[in-house]
Amino acid sequence: MATERKRKKSAPPLCIEGEMSIYRARELKQTLHAPLEKTATIEVDLSAVTELDTAGLQLLLLAKRSAQARQGDLRIVAHSPAVGEVFALLQLDGHFGVSAPASSDTPQRH
Amino acid sequence: MSRTIMIVDDSASLRQVVAIALKGAGYAVIEGCDGQDALARLNGQKVHLIISDVNMPNMDGLSFVRAVKQMPDYKFTPVIMLTTEFTDKKKQEGQAAGAKAWIVKPFKPEQLLGAVQKLCPS
Amino acid sequence: MELDQALQTFIAESREQLEDMENALLAVGREEEDESEKVNAIFRAAHTIKGSSGLFGLDHVVAFTHVVESVLDRVRDGEILLVDDLVSLLLSCRDHMGMLIDAVANEGADAGGGIAEQGAPLVARLRGYLDAPQSADPPAAAAPAAAPAGDAAAEDPADDEPAGADRWHISLRFGPNVLRDGMDPLSFLRYLGRLGAITGIATLSDAMPDAAEMDPEACYLGFEIAFESDADKAAIESVFEFVRDDCSIRILPPHSRVSEYVRLIRELPEETARLGEMLVRCGTVTAGELEAALDTQTVQSAQPSEAPRQPIGAILVEQGSVQPAVVEAALARQKQVNELKGQESRSIRIDADKLDQLINQVGELIIAGASVNLIAQRAHNVELQERASTLSSLVESVRDSALQLRMVRIGATFSRFQRVVHDAAREIGKDIRLAVSGEDTELDKTVVEKIADPITHLVRNAIDHGIEPAEQRAASGKPAQGTVRLNAYHDSGSIVIEVSDDGGGLKRDRILAKAIERGLVEPGRSLADGEILDLVFEPGFSTAEAVTSLSGRGVGMDVVKRNIAALRGSVSIASEEGVGTTVTVRLPLTLAIIDGFQVEIGKTAFVVPLDMIEECVELSAEPGHDYTNLRGQVLPFIRLRDLFKVEGKPARRENIVVLKYAGQKAGLVVDTLVGEFQTVIKPMGKLFGQVRCISGSTILGSGDVALILDVPSLVQQAIQQGAPQVSSKQAAVAASAC
Repeated sequence: MATERKRKKSAPPLCIEGEMSIYRARELKQTLHAPLEKTATIEVDLSAVTELDTAGLQLLLLAKRSAQARQGDLRIVAHSPAVGEVFALLQLDGHFGVSAPASSDTPQRH
Repeated sequence: MSRTIMIVDDSASLRQVVAIALKGAGYAVIEGCDGQDALARLNGQKVHLIISDVNMPNMDGLSFVRAVKQMPDYKFTPVIMLTTEFTDKKKQEGQAAGAKAWIVKPFKPEQLLGAVQKLCPS
Repeated sequence: MELDQALQTFIAESREQLEDMENALLAVGREEEDESEKVNAIFRAAHTIKGSSGLFGLDHVVAFTHVVESVLDRVRDGEILLVDDLVSLLLSCRDHMGMLIDAVANEGADAGGGIAEQGAPLVARLRGYLDAPQSADPPAAAAPAAAPAGDAAAEDPADDEPAGADRWHISLRFGPNVLRDGMDPLSFLRYLGRLGAITGIATLSDAMPDAAEMDPEACYLGFEIAFESDADKAAIESVFEFVRDDCSIRILPPHSRVSEYVRLIRELPEETARLGEMLVRCGTVTAGELEAALDTQTVQSAQPSEAPRQPIGAILVEQGSVQPAVVEAALARQKQVNELKGQESRSIRIDADKLDQLINQVGELIIAGASVNLIAQRAHNVELQERASTLSSLVESVRDSALQLRMVRIGATFSRFQRVVHDAAREIGKDIRLAVSGEDTELDKTVVEKIADPITHLVRNAIDHGIEPAEQRAASGKPAQGTVRLNAYHDSGSIVIEVSDDGGGLKRDRILAKAIERGLVEPGRSLADGEILDLVFEPGFSTAEAVTSLSGRGVGMDVVKRNIAALRGSVSIASEEGVGTTVTVRLPLTLAIIDGFQVEIGKTAFVVPLDMIEECVELSAEPGHDYTNLRGQVLPFIRLRDLFKVEGKPARRENIVVLKYAGQKAGLVVDTLVGEFQTVIKPMGKLFGQVRCISGSTILGSGDVALILDVPSLVQQAIQQGAPQVSSKQAAVAASAC
């Protein structure tokens, strides 16, 4: 379903499993930001995420913004239906580049 | 993914009707007959929404909500309080305790379902 | 169908509530009881009936109980005194509610008109107590929906061009606490989707600080939404009713004037360019419309700063080109989502009543099976006997499976005591922790429901009287934190629950002194250690010197003992001074069906629970003695024939059934050993409540009734009987027990 991008960096995608919810928000913030210490662009695999709530979504938005602030990016290489449903609801597919083919991400920030 | 809702009320028939309505809308339902019973039944399992009466024997709804909001597994779980039209004070106490949503008794099953679906879509 | 069932529950429950209400009303004024508790009980009855009848659409019941409840609410607040007149009025109201419920029971949910009218005089009298203006009475419902002031302007005929076509525009900014309160904005947006279609949506995270300062549990998001719907503004607003205080919501109706959108943009916290971008993005207005509008606005507003104008135009044009792609992608995604839904749950929930019914039916099946067995044996048909025995073993495994369904872990019951201990310890200022073990031990649901109260009492006793104050603990070299322990395990057909504490232990001399003072023991009589401790279970005995709010409510250990005995269980206590006390509760694993062992005296059959039988031996006692030598140990016994005064001569060769219970053994002398069989326990009628040594009855295959022997009390009796003559031997027996 998800269009996987083959522009692989050396690091394997960061794989997040289970609930991306407020109950795990503190832990997830760490998880998402830890790799950004080393590299500006990270790839995230959300195919094993069972639930995504606003807290989880916010963290994705934050991580993407942090990455972009360093001229990098956060790319979602795969995602589960639970994630897809939220992206569809908020029409965020384009923002996270999960289904728009080829084109680069929407230039959001100045 | 089926969502689980806990209904806590000392009236068995109210619980039954609520359970029928919720199950009909695709939710799984756990029943508790008072605060104490409900705490025992939570027992670590995933619950997406709690509906609780205020006036109950053994442990009333406010103490129950306060207890739930202390538990790491449930502190962010939304709570709907079943209030009466007199107890505005109770409603405020409930909100302070962490129950931000409420339904005034008596209510019709569809009213409850509406409130539930706002907080926890099936 | 299900609703019908619920209605039956409602009727039964309402009748119970009415009974409670009546009892509480009748108890009003009796000094010894807590008045506010009674008022609460009366209020709760009205409250519950009203709440449930609303669910069933029994509006006439709601209407009547509402007035009753209103009066009771004032009573509860102390605004109205519960004087005799009011009590009798409330009793009449109770009776009327009873009639309303009866009408529902007889005629179904549609019943009621005629009887409801009879309530009118009562309502009139009740209103007399509600001194407040009558209009205050029917609440909220009558209040007209407040007309939002802002709407008038918005709905005025347009004086500038309408924009945004036929869509609502919703602007949401959520407060930081919504997520912590369990209010997920995504849930509201999903619900909004039920009222119409979200045609465009933009997520704003501008309020979110950088990673270092961002609190992952706070909400920073806002949304701009274009929404296509026939719903009215109130309906859309009501989607967000639970976050109204925690969220800023702006709703613009379809065909609003462009100037309205511009005003919206100016009111919102984000910078104008960003917002313009978002509005375009969600499709509420087109880039051109907005640009033009903002242009004129800027000119009109007396702040001719040129700086913002250029970027707005630039960004909007840019966004305008990006937008279609974004929307297309979103639509494609939406289709995929709905395909993968619902993994089936691996477990199902069953109504406890249905399980009980199953167990009853299995019980009947066992009895029927036993009678088939009997007939097969009489018929001397080998084939029939074989089939019958296959059938029996199948029935047996069905029984086990059925009982297993009703088994629940005791862990859930134990865990609720964490809070009891926490609260109670804090209340009396002691530092106490609860240690729990054996949570996985299973027992019948019906048993578990009934032990919570006795266990609560024991735990509170341990907290209140068991654990010493901190100074005292420190003085005796114990850790400052006291420990109360709950433990459970299985032991020969019973579940054993231990409540222990590492407190000061029971002081035997003090118990004895108090027992003598209360006349429970004659002065000068010497008692064994265990016997002294058992005194605390005597009615009216309490060792607490000061009555505290925790366990000094006059409900003593005697009540605990009685409640447990009612479950065919027993309770014992062990204590070492300075070290602690352990109360041990033994309960049967199930209250429904057991493996029994049938014995006979003459023609009369008795059943002994099989798992309490150690062995059977031939009687070899000297005449006149009521103990025998069992492989070098003294075994006291009881002659069942004497105990129940069964007529006729003993058989030539009598047998002893060796019973074991709670580590003690005793013999039971019977004529004939018949054999094992599954026993469905039928409780004894109330009439036989006082009969000792019998715990129930059962029906044999032949259709005859057999009494089930109460092993705990038999063992106790055998040992007591033996005591006066052979007290030293009794000690030996006790010592032999493991």
